[in-house]
Amino acid sequence: MRIVIWIKENLLGSKTDILITLISAYFIYFISSLFFNFVFTTDWTLIQVNRKILLVGLFPEEQLWRIWTVFSIFSILISATIGYLYKLKLKNSIFYITILSIPFFIFTTLNLLFNILIILFFSIISYTAFYYFKKNQKKIISRILLFSWIVFLPSLFFILVLFGGPKVTLWGGFFVNLILAVIAIIAGFPLGVFLALGRASSYNVIKLVSIVFIETFRGAPLIAWLFFAWFVLPNFLPNLFSLNDINLVIRAMIVLSLFSSAYIAEVIRGGLQSIPKGQKEAATALGLSSIKELIFIVLPQAIRVVIPAVVSTFIAIFKDTSLVFILGITDLLRIGRLIPEQQQEFYGKSIETLLVVALLFWVVSIVLSQVSRSIEERLNVSN
Amino acid sequence: MIFILFKQLKSETTVRKKIEVLKNDKSFRKFFIQFIFSIFMVFFLFYLISRAFSLELGFGHLSSRAGFGLSHSFIIEYTSNDSRWGAYFTGVINTIRVSFVGIFLATFLGVIMGLARLSKNFLISKISAGYVEFIRNTPLLVQIIFWQLVLLQLPQISNALTFGGVSVWSNRGILLPFISSVENGSLWVLILLISLIVTLFIRSYLHKYKEENVKIFSPNLLSIIFFLITAVVSYFILGIDLRSDVPTLEINEYGTYIQSGGFALTPEFSAILFALVLYTGTFITEIVRGSIQSLPVGQTEAAQALGLSTYQRITLVILPQALRSIIPPLTNQYLNLTKNSSLSVAIAYPDVFMVSRTIMNNAGHALPMLFLILSTYLSLSLLISLIMNLLNRRVTRIGT
Repeated sequence: MRIVIWIKENLLGSKTDILITLISAYFIYFISSLFFNFVFTTDWTLIQVNRKILLVGLFPEEQLWRIWTVFSIFSILISATIGYLYKLKLKNSIFYITILSIPFFIFTTLNLLFNILIILFFSIISYTAFYYFKKNQKKIISRILLFSWIVFLPSLFFILVLFGGPKVTLWGGFFVNLILAVIAIIAGFPLGVFLALGRASSYNVIKLVSIVFIETFRGAPLIAWLFFAWFVLPNFLPNLFSLNDINLVIRAMIVLSLFSSAYIAEVIRGGLQSIPKGQKEAATALGLSSIKELIFIVLPQAIRVVIPAVVSTFIAIFKDTSLVFILGITDLLRIGRLIPEQQQEFYGKSIETLLVVALLFWVVSIVLSQVSRSIEERLNVSN
Repeated sequence: MIFILFKQLKSETTVRKKIEVLKNDKSFRKFFIQFIFSIFMVFFLFYLISRAFSLELGFGHLSSRAGFGLSHSFIIEYTSNDSRWGAYFTGVINTIRVSFVGIFLATFLGVIMGLARLSKNFLISKISAGYVEFIRNTPLLVQIIFWQLVLLQLPQISNALTFGGVSVWSNRGILLPFISSVENGSLWVLILLISLIVTLFIRSYLHKYKEENVKIFSPNLLSIIFFLITAVVSYFILGIDLRSDVPTLEINEYGTYIQSGGFALTPEFSAILFALVLYTGTFITEIVRGSIQSLPVGQTEAAQALGLSTYQRITLVILPQALRSIIPPLTNQYLNLTKNSSLSVAIAYPDVFMVSRTIMNNAGHALPMLFLILSTYLSLSLLISLIMNLLNRRVTRIGT
């Protein structure tokens, strides 16, 4: 009976409601039949054959352990952080597991299953450990977590590059998109904080420089800046250490970091403005110097407020990394375009690869946007 | 201030104490830090400028013959014999064209989807939610290429879909039936647009006049009459000959198919337009939804209590109030859409970015061309912000 009432209220309320329901039902039927028809009548061997190329490009087989190491450290750290920050919610975990199992089923083969299971095992262990120990030793746990993040993030680069790592030109696939986005946000965040402080400062010269920087980078599309990196940037780099001869991937990283810093600066500026004046006055009354006031009072609160927006910026930057396709860097999109062109047996299957490319981007973005949403909810509750 | 500082400095005898005085003086510290910073910035600028001089500078190359054709030109007739400036301006107009149409359609889609998201009807609100979650979280570039591939899946021109001779759909483009005139057609449309703007001004003036004086006339009716008169008069003066323009598919004497007439949507233009509209539409959907949700529930209830219909409730009560918080983020999305239209370089729609890139390939001068691109997008952004600010002022004025 409840179902009948629900249907009556939500689908067949009035005459227009019935019409809307019919049209929507037909629309859903149309789209889903188109989609499932395509998915089930297509031969997906081209994805099965090219799994490795799509994910890591031409990264040498014997060097893959570097990516595995980075991946496992990352997932263990992330699960530890989740264990530290959040309570287990059934609805959220079902969402994450279903979404993350999509790429798992597409890209995992039997000989990789062992590695994945080991990583999963350790991630679950670190999650449970941090989840249970945070009740008693919150201070120590939080320090360990912070310390390991600070140590790990720079070492990410070392693991990939040092001790005979493959050239940056061999980086490719989805891996390049992820690493470009991560580097852009890691380098862009501190710079963005400085720019936001500069824009809010009473020192007019610094304010002017920050405004010019932010507005210039926000004024032109990212693709123009990537062309800047391609054609012009080497000329502006100093001749020392053959810096003006650096790889296109690194140049793209530099420009992406500068670009994201301009956007992050605007986000953080919003956070700075949201802090009540009383906080600053209280800090002054306590006799804190202006730098101490900034570091201990203003910034922690401002950054806390804008974390969801920063995550959204990260998603935007992550999606924008697909633009390096136009520079000729073999990122996921470029590989997705090259496979149907260069492998004869898959000639003309562009839409298939493009859908898988879109799916990979979609999975990461939707997970991150859900994370940002739950952080926002937490902030709203605690405020 | 400075005199006091000098006095203090003079009164101190040792150097160390003088430094101490300077250190504690707030305005001096401010000046000192800015001074050091400016010296640093000046050196940095000098470095950049000295580096820039080793590159090709100047815009002289833009005056010479372009030598490349563009697949789309609008208003300006462009041929490969024109100068590179001509190509550049064709690109600018193409950018404005796709952004303008895109902004219009994306707003329409976003408002509809935003209202649908809040609808009580379960199905349509889920359609809207699914649309947002799927489209917003995939890169725009992937979507642009996807739409291009989909449009190329249309049948070849030899067996194009004609829908009973009304329009032609093939992988060379979509031709829709349209109204056109043999002569002066675009000029007449331009005059109509201008007179529409003038009419809007006259209408607002008449409304003001009516508020201050006796109400014996209807401002709306008068302005409509004014608009119709200008339209009809210019129609006869320009000798407009309106006729329905149905696209045709013919085979010429060499056996090749030719599609002509109608309102032509090329695959490139439609791909970039579809992708931009769908992508930006998701963000506008979220903006509209957020703004409407932030309105107090009492507004809806009061409108219902007054007996307004759903349509009246939305157009007379909800949207006018929501517009105030919609417009600032909406402006941001319009700017994003304009900037994102530069991605059409991936599918060879000749917007300003792609034309500049072609010029860069042919004649070098990368730095000046990038500067030109930057200033083009900056001025477009300023134009959009200006228009939207005017609109915002108008919207926030009502009812306050």
